[in-house]
Amino acid sequence: MITGQKFVEGKGTYVDDINLPGMLYMAIVRSPYSRAKIASLKGGLNSSDYEGRMASVGEGGSGEINIYSEPVFAQGYTSYLGQPVAAVFGEDRYKAEDLLNSVDVEYEPLKPVMEIDAALKADPIHPGTKNNILIDKWVGKEFKDTSSPIVLEDSFYNRRVATNPMEPRGVVATYDGNRLTMWASSQSSQSIKEGLVEAMNLSPDSVRVIQADTGGGFGLKGGLHPEYVIAAHAAMKYKRPVKWIETRSEHLSSSNPGRGARADIKIFAGKNGIINGVTGEVYVDAGAYGGFGEFAPGFIAYQLTGPYAIPNGYVRAIATLTNKVPQGPYRGAGRPEASYFIERMVDLLADELKMDPADVRIANMSSEPFKSPLGLEIGAAKPFFQDALKEFEYGKRFTSDTAGLGFFVLVPGIGPGEGARIKIEKGRVKVWLGGDTAGQGHQEFVRTLIREELGIASDLVELQLGDTDAVKRGVGAWGSRSAITAGAAVIAASGKIKDMVIKDFGDYSPENALSGSYDIDHFEEMKGTLNSFGANIAVADVSPLGAIRVKDCWSYYDVGRVLSKESVWGQIMGGIVQGIGQVVSEEIAYSDEGELLTGSIADSGVLSADQVPNFVVKVAENRSDLPHGVKGLGEAPTIGVPSALVRSIEKVTGKRIRDTPVRPEDIAEDL
Amino acid sequence: MGKIKVRVKINGKERSDEVEPRMLLAHYLRDVVGATGTHIGCDTSNCGACTVVMDGKAVKSCTVLVGQANGREIKTVEGLSQNGKLSKIQKAFLDKHGLQCGYCTSGMLMASYWLLKKNKKPNEEEIRRNLSGNLCRCTGYQNIVEAVKYASELIEKEGEEEEVVVESQ
Repeated sequence: MITGQKFVEGKGTYVDDINLPGMLYMAIVRSPYSRAKIASLKGGLNSSDYEGRMASVGEGGSGEINIYSEPVFAQGYTSYLGQPVAAVFGEDRYKAEDLLNSVDVEYEPLKPVMEIDAALKADPIHPGTKNNILIDKWVGKEFKDTSSPIVLEDSFYNRRVATNPMEPRGVVATYDGNRLTMWASSQSSQSIKEGLVEAMNLSPDSVRVIQADTGGGFGLKGGLHPEYVIAAHAAMKYKRPVKWIETRSEHLSSSNPGRGARADIKIFAGKNGIINGVTGEVYVDAGAYGGFGEFAPGFIAYQLTGPYAIPNGYVRAIATLTNKVPQGPYRGAGRPEASYFIERMVDLLADELKMDPADVRIANMSSEPFKSPLGLEIGAAKPFFQDALKEFEYGKRFTSDTAGLGFFVLVPGIGPGEGARIKIEKGRVKVWLGGDTAGQGHQEFVRTLIREELGIASDLVELQLGDTDAVKRGVGAWGSRSAITAGAAVIAASGKIKDMVIKDFGDYSPENALSGSYDIDHFEEMKGTLNSFGANIAVADVSPLGAIRVKDCWSYYDVGRVLSKESVWGQIMGGIVQGIGQVVSEEIAYSDEGELLTGSIADSGVLSADQVPNFVVKVAENRSDLPHGVKGLGEAPTIGVPSALVRSIEKVTGKRIRDTPVRPEDIAEDL
Repeated sequence: MGKIKVRVKINGKERSDEVEPRMLLAHYLRDVVGATGTHIGCDTSNCGACTVVMDGKAVKSCTVLVGQANGREIKTVEGLSQNGKLSKIQKAFLDKHGLQCGYCTSGMLMASYWLLKKNKKPNEEEIRRNLSGNLCRCTGYQNIVEAVKYASELIEKEGEEEEVVVESQ
């Protein structure tokens, strides 16, 4: 079957399409306040029945449960609007919704702590803790710079955005008395299993997580969520299958959003544009509990020199607790934030020195590999960037009067590697990966690699959905890592199959392989970095009232060897719209009093077809050292596009842009 | 809650069911009829994943009560291919890689199917405007627009598919 054929026929099996006999539908009673004491609570399944806490798993997860871990149900007080307080179960989805009224909760609203600055000053939001600082550490090495003639300081804020996969979260859980089985919309069935095992104190053998067709993930679906634990617990308690499907309203209030990072940055530079050092503070609004927020500030700080050979760097990385839904990874997950912060400073330096932004960038690039004082390893940036300017016809088609440039290094998540299983049986090949595809097209690179490694035609190769019973060990599909790590695992597993075929037949041929039965489950250990460069150029048009339209957006990314042109181009074009969205419209916003101001997917700023142009996509195929030659890709556009577009808006309006999204009031002409 | 009786023709096949009057057409199609190709992506009629064609016009089935569909004819994504053969719009979405995760695809297909019924040769702007009620988070829309253009060319070259009429039960 051609990839995607079942979807155009309406024959996909997403998690809400799975129905089991006797299944209950779950609905969640959620806190209507950003912060409140629960004075009384009657009805439903709640913290009096289940007291557990969440385990931090998936991208940036520590695997631990600590004092900042989110309770599965709010315990005595609520800490964000949308926090699960109780769960009810009905025979169908309408009855489950009706039952929400059967739960009686009396809240005493408290003044919420909604922003980073307020969190630093406020009393702790969690009793028994000292303050609202989740993480506070320094990255790099202290330095003194008294000689640089140019010292520039500024502050930037990437406000929170919803991940908004078109399919919201969902699970079906069932328990047969011995084993818990959960179907999930997932980027990592392995992480969800690990989370359930940790949070619920189950033995690994007693949990199986199976991926359903997954309608987008973008970071959200790589880890554990309270609702999954509640559904699992209920399935075990009631001995009936339980389905939970998130509504979009729940998604906007209660799914971990991304971004939510601010930086105060200072650069020291010479009059020739060469940056001698960078210092500053990175603040992440972690929301009410730990998890990804424990990882994010350090990860942003580590990348704060971007693709530039800046010799000195010393950055404080802080995550604060606020009365908001916990922050999570969103396509890029710290990479876009770091790139935005340094790119904004580079543009500011260009303005200060009245230099072309391309020239300031070149002045700070190395022709040799470079290790930054913050620990980031990059290759030779200059040759790539010069190629990018040529590809963009910079100076001719685009000029710095209206066009904005974004130049970045993409840091894919390599370690600890990835798992893959290849099973040949009855003349067909089934492949499972340790990470779950959520629409990126993993099937395409798997087929390419099996064709190349084993000589087997693509129509005989089927990628299976994630299943923790099928693959012993796996990580997840995030961090621009799948073609790199899962691809390497497929190649290694193919090599083992080849050896077995040779042992059986004396030599290898695809026919020999297909006539036998082989089954290899391999985890390819990987570490180190495989960083690559990318550049964007964008031109915006801004109406007098501050409405932004993107006229042009071009990309030039070093994606390594292209295994599937359709997938690569698809990833880039889709990511560009997310990058544009972050700049022009996407935001999850709250009032100071903690009311959620984002009431619909339209409010949250997801762009539609009539709001974006066609894009020009170009790639450099500089092979990596991996056998299959690939590099990271998926997050490139959300890293590169925001900086480029914001710069163009700045040039077109003449107004300095610091924050995303750019609000009309920031740029409207003074009327 | 009392029930109402509805009689609906779905993809050429008539059926009648007793349902709660508050039931949405989207849930009726998915949970009662079992036609799960129609998806639900929001609760504010913004995303268009649930788009179906009712009496020849594209509607968002999450904003239609099943009672409002009584006596009407519904076409869902399952009704696009005929006798196991993909329709031109389906083929075009596959050939032009107009989908990634597949979740918005049913709604995109139905909105595009309707667009090509009323406008055989839409230009780029008309396609983008007509799909503005259908959100996609994966593709960046470019290949979806290409797919609709391509389907329009296929229809011009080869003509529209004959609608297969299925007799009532």
